[in-house]
Amino acid sequence: MLGMIQRLGRWGLSFFRRLGRAHLFLLEVLAGLPSLLPRPGLVVQQLYSVGVLSLLIIVVSGLFVGMVLGLQGYNTLVDFGAAESLGVVVALTLVRELGPVVTALLFAGRAGSALTAEIGLMKATEQLSGMEMMAVDPMRRVVAPRFLAGFISMPLLAAIFSVVGVYGGYFVGVGLLGVDAGAYWSQIQDKVDLHEDIYNGVIKSLAFGFVVTWIAVYEGYDTVPTSEGVSRATTRTVVHGALAVLALDFVLTALMFGDI
Amino acid sequence: MATDPPATTAPQAPLVCIRGLRFTRASRVIFDGVDLDIPRGKVTAIMGPSGTGKTTLLRLIGGQLKPMAGSVVVDGQEVAKLGHGELYALRQRMGMLFQSGALLTDLNVFDNVAFPLREHTDLPEAMIRDIVLMKLEAVGLRGGHQLLTNELSGGMARRVALARAIALDPMMVMYDEPFAGQDPISMGVLVKLIRLLNDAMGLTSIVVTHDVSEAMGIADHLYLISDGKVVEQGSPAQLEDSASAWVHQFLHGEPDGPVPFHYPAPDFFEDLMAGEQ
Repeated sequence: MLGMIQRLGRWGLSFFRRLGRAHLFLLEVLAGLPSLLPRPGLVVQQLYSVGVLSLLIIVVSGLFVGMVLGLQGYNTLVDFGAAESLGVVVALTLVRELGPVVTALLFAGRAGSALTAEIGLMKATEQLSGMEMMAVDPMRRVVAPRFLAGFISMPLLAAIFSVVGVYGGYFVGVGLLGVDAGAYWSQIQDKVDLHEDIYNGVIKSLAFGFVVTWIAVYEGYDTVPTSEGVSRATTRTVVHGALAVLALDFVLTALMFGDI
Repeated sequence: MATDPPATTAPQAPLVCIRGLRFTRASRVIFDGVDLDIPRGKVTAIMGPSGTGKTTLLRLIGGQLKPMAGSVVVDGQEVAKLGHGELYALRQRMGMLFQSGALLTDLNVFDNVAFPLREHTDLPEAMIRDIVLMKLEAVGLRGGHQLLTNELSGGMARRVALARAIALDPMMVMYDEPFAGQDPISMGVLVKLIRLLNDAMGLTSIVVTHDVSEAMGIADHLYLISDGKVVEQGSPAQLEDSASAWVHQFLHGEPDGPVPFHYPAPDFFEDLMAGEQ
């Protein structure tokens, strides 16, 4: 019993120590962001590797998620004679929920893990130490541009995911199942609100981008500098990133749309 | 008792002055009251058995670690008390050669050497090219400036890292185990380069190593560190003449002596008999 309490205490201390370190790390990253102003090239380079290289998985996933939504939505709506509302069901589901959430989950797996592995390996091979000794602050030169690129990329990727998903739903609903094309688009135009839906979706994806990229760069920077350490850190990025996104989504949804 | 460090900005004063240095990792004491001076313009070798904290000493001089007690003064500035900007300004005047080379793997040889120049200067690209080629020429790798880091042998990687370390014409260069794992030719090249660059560029060099013959051949001054303390110091000739049995054992690589061959154990006969019972 005493041993269990000791273990719990040790786990708690270690958890809060890590949490504290992660917050101090975040402060350092944020303090390093102004140093990027005169060097936008560093961020553009990372936008390419974090954002552009994630496009394929985002577009393909968006297309399939939209097609599934179109199919499932049609099957439910047709029973109530409301198949014309398919467009708005697909669009709202994507813009409010699946766009930001699925993009964030895919982003954690594709770009987050790559960020952690890259920074972790730079640490393991003493490249970060080498930079420090060359009087180049790795927080500003390596971590800050990656963090900013992740934060900027996420809402853009989520928007692309949603747009492609809407077209996926259109392809299935209108192209294959015979829903009226005019009704599909006009319902979307009529019911999707800029403030209520789109802005809230963008806020969600900004929050997810912030958290997932923070976790990814922190895990990389804090990794135990061995191959096993990098492997564990990469796994933690995906697992913690996904859990954080899902938990945060509930909180944000409750605040934005719920009456809790 | 630690003595006060001398003023280290005078031309003849030591460049690095360490007094009463204490550093621990968890419960393990790495340094316990170390006093050490690195003279300007000389090659100083710091030797000792593996795990004595030689690399840690370089990190303390470079300000990557902070001492628990005592002081590390480099060119008149106490490293642990410097702010972020001052520390980074001091590091621009230091070069460090890591054991692994620590080259940036996404850049080729040329860009690795150009990296500190691009980060710290506004020089035009044509001038950066000239400087990089001059530095690479000095280490004999001008012809390989387009190679990727994964195309370099261990010795070549260290020479590229050396070219990068001297890119900003620093006042001192620290070498972390430069000879470890090198074939005789690479070793010879590195020994020659360290001496040559030190004398030609007016550097101060600190070489951390446990390769006795190379260190004795290259260094003007040597420190032997063991168990957290400086055991002996002096010129190679003074160390050869040392009366200390430990120094003699270390320099000649004798398997038994003050550092025993056997790990402390109970009586061998009793140990064997214990198994019978």
